[in-house]
Amino acid sequence: MSEKRNAIFTSGVIIFIILFFTVADFVTPDRLFSETENRILASKPEFSGEALQQGTYTEDYETYVTDQFVGRDKWIAVKTYMDILLQKKDINGVYLAEDNYLMEQHKPEDYPEELEEEKLELLEQLVQRWDATVMLVPTADNILTDKLPKYADYYDETGLLARVRELVGEKRYVDVYAALREHADEQIYYRTDHHWTSLGSYYGYRAWADATGKFPVIRDAERRETVAEDFLGTLHSRINLPMEGDEIQYYTDTMRNPVTITYDFEQTADSFYEEKFLDTKNKYGYFLDDNHAFVEIQTGYPNGKTLFVIKDSYANCMIPMLAQHYETVYVLDLRYFNGKLFDFMETYEQEGMDVLVLYNCIHFLEEFYYIK
Amino acid sequence: MVFSSVIFLFRFLPIFMICYYLVPRRMKNFILFVGSLFFYAWGEPVYVMLMLFSTLCDYVHGRLIERYRGKRKATAFLISSIVINLLLLGWFKYADFLIQTVNGLAGTDFPLLNLPLPIGISFYTFQTMSYTIDVYRGEAKVQKNILDFGVFVTMFPQLIAGPIVKYRQVEKDLHERQIKAENISYGAKRFVTGLAKKVLLANNIGALWSEISVMDYGEISVLTAWIGILAYAFQIYFDFSGYSDMAIGLGACLGFTFPENFNYPYISASVTEFWRRWHMTLSGWFREYVYIPLGGNRKGLGRQLLNILIVWLLTGIWHGAGVNFLFWGIWYAFFLILEKLFLKKVFEVLPRSFGWVYTCLVVLLGWVFFTVETPEGIAGFLRAMFGLNGAALFDRKSLYLGREYFIFFIILAFFATPVVKYIADRLERSRTGYCLALYRFGEKVIPAVLLCLSIAYIVDASYNPFLYFRF
Repeated sequence: MSEKRNAIFTSGVIIFIILFFTVADFVTPDRLFSETENRILASKPEFSGEALQQGTYTEDYETYVTDQFVGRDKWIAVKTYMDILLQKKDINGVYLAEDNYLMEQHKPEDYPEELEEEKLELLEQLVQRWDATVMLVPTADNILTDKLPKYADYYDETGLLARVRELVGEKRYVDVYAALREHADEQIYYRTDHHWTSLGSYYGYRAWADATGKFPVIRDAERRETVAEDFLGTLHSRINLPMEGDEIQYYTDTMRNPVTITYDFEQTADSFYEEKFLDTKNKYGYFLDDNHAFVEIQTGYPNGKTLFVIKDSYANCMIPMLAQHYETVYVLDLRYFNGKLFDFMETYEQEGMDVLVLYNCIHFLEEFYYIK
Repeated sequence: MVFSSVIFLFRFLPIFMICYYLVPRRMKNFILFVGSLFFYAWGEPVYVMLMLFSTLCDYVHGRLIERYRGKRKATAFLISSIVINLLLLGWFKYADFLIQTVNGLAGTDFPLLNLPLPIGISFYTFQTMSYTIDVYRGEAKVQKNILDFGVFVTMFPQLIAGPIVKYRQVEKDLHERQIKAENISYGAKRFVTGLAKKVLLANNIGALWSEISVMDYGEISVLTAWIGILAYAFQIYFDFSGYSDMAIGLGACLGFTFPENFNYPYISASVTEFWRRWHMTLSGWFREYVYIPLGGNRKGLGRQLLNILIVWLLTGIWHGAGVNFLFWGIWYAFFLILEKLFLKKVFEVLPRSFGWVYTCLVVLLGWVFFTVETPEGIAGFLRAMFGLNGAALFDRKSLYLGREYFIFFIILAFFATPVVKYIADRLERSRTGYCLALYRFGEKVIPAVLLCLSIAYIVDASYNPFLYFRF
């Protein structure tokens, strides 16, 4: 008899678990957006005979139910804990590196030579026409290589950088790689995000000043202030484990002089930094109001010089430093721009305008694209 | 709908089971039929009509065979039933393969049909054929109730990935089954075991194989290739046997007893033994309805070897319309014939481990034909396995993957053997209080933990492929 009771108890627990979560799932309201995953969750699909026949209705419905499942974030965390227990070192395309660093995984096979070739060609045209300075920032895996898991594979960016250097010539090439390598033991990359920190970008800025013969306005790496300590970035979102947050910092010297910034021709601001982002998950948006297609900066520093930056999000925390050297800075993000690049630049061209291409190596390969 | 999904576990299953248990006994088949059609139509809103046609067709054929029993018409109706089933299967599964072959050989240019394969068609056509054949042979009674017959064909637990149930195995259950608490309890545990095998083991090791399978076979090291094919071997075993466990478990919850489908195939010490432990209902089907009718081993050695070859060509092509599957069948036929001739006797003298190593090699190499599919790919992968592609014995990548999955491989190997079952049996039968208490505790806690972990992996669902759409 007790054996029978035991057996029934076991199945009772199984049935209870299934019923419990079924009911809980029915009574929990749908969420529009997942903060941890940083994406809009699927909503209930609209029924139509056609969608049903093509099978898209049932497919969408399944995505909806899975996306909205009760306790979704916690279930995902359970899975991640299991992976860690099994000694896995990469989860959802992120390496669990030493010293609590998360690093985005870049497989060598995803960046073949043809891709490099294609991007170098585009870069060459730009450099020839505009005499642009080129600054490609290596990603964390290439600088903090010692922290990667044992035997971990990564796309080695030094080959690409050497080719860029040869292509654009010593005069126009900013050697960020060497500068960052030198400071690899400092906090130059966020532990939880794929960007470099303000400190990292400071070393980048110094390398730029060296390469272009500018006298650095900000002379001390330590002149920065912390505005947030609980930044959990995009890499953390993919792992979703409790971690210590990163600090968001800015260089105080960049706040000394008043600026006027126009985002996408309409919205204006009087600071490089937007505090409203510090209360959200996307704290890196603090720098230059997150991502905009086109930003115009007037510094009121009357030297008549102009800088035109073609960039990715890595540039956002460095532009406040660059702006100290110019009266006007234009910032263009090619991802959100679909006109003809050279025509567009010509409308802003001024005597002696400097042009800077500023990307991290991976974004350069994945996103650097324009129509002449 | 697949079992390892939120929609099945937290929508279909609870709603269906509540209805099923609440209605009076005479209504249960109706609920099961309607529920199964919904389950199938969820994934195949169009082809559900095809399945209903197949059901109706074989129901009518069964009755006609019964009516003309002993007359020539009965044989004619049996043949008509088999032909219709094979035509359905041929049209939807093999037509494009045939057209391609003809185009390739004769240089013609017939257009392809490009029909998607109806899920489970290979399984349910085999089930309905077993019915008409058994009725013809008098081994099963004709089913006059079309609803009961419909339940046999469309029943959702084994509908899309087996086990292949012969009609006479569930004949009794179809109209007078009893739903006992013990069966539900056994079924629930069996279902959770299968779910865990599929979601926790198969899907995770499958991620490794899908990573290796897309690499350039000209460059991967020997170690990477072997890690890859080993990963696939575990993936397909835990996926398929997990699915069978879930089907058997759900069947038990509904009051049915389905046949077992897997019996620890990877401990086999000969290829013959492997096929007695792997997908047992399929090999059983071919033995009963092809091998023995062809004469089996009763017509001399030469004829027996030919019969083996025919059965394994069919087994191969059953798994998918492609030359590689044919070759996979021939590969096994070759070793089965060798074993019949002399090899089995050789291994019987040697320690069991020799036979085991040999069987593992045959099976692992077999999986290369099974999963890589293109001739160039197969050749390339085999070269990599034996270091003939000029790559190193091991490299950084293989060491990384080896380290990354080391613990997991040990877990997989452990669960592929009967060790857990052995320990559980010993604990259960032991008279010591501690051991028994441990068993009782494990019995209560483990299924719940496995279920929760499986839910976590399903919700994470970054990787949840279903392998049987091609069968």
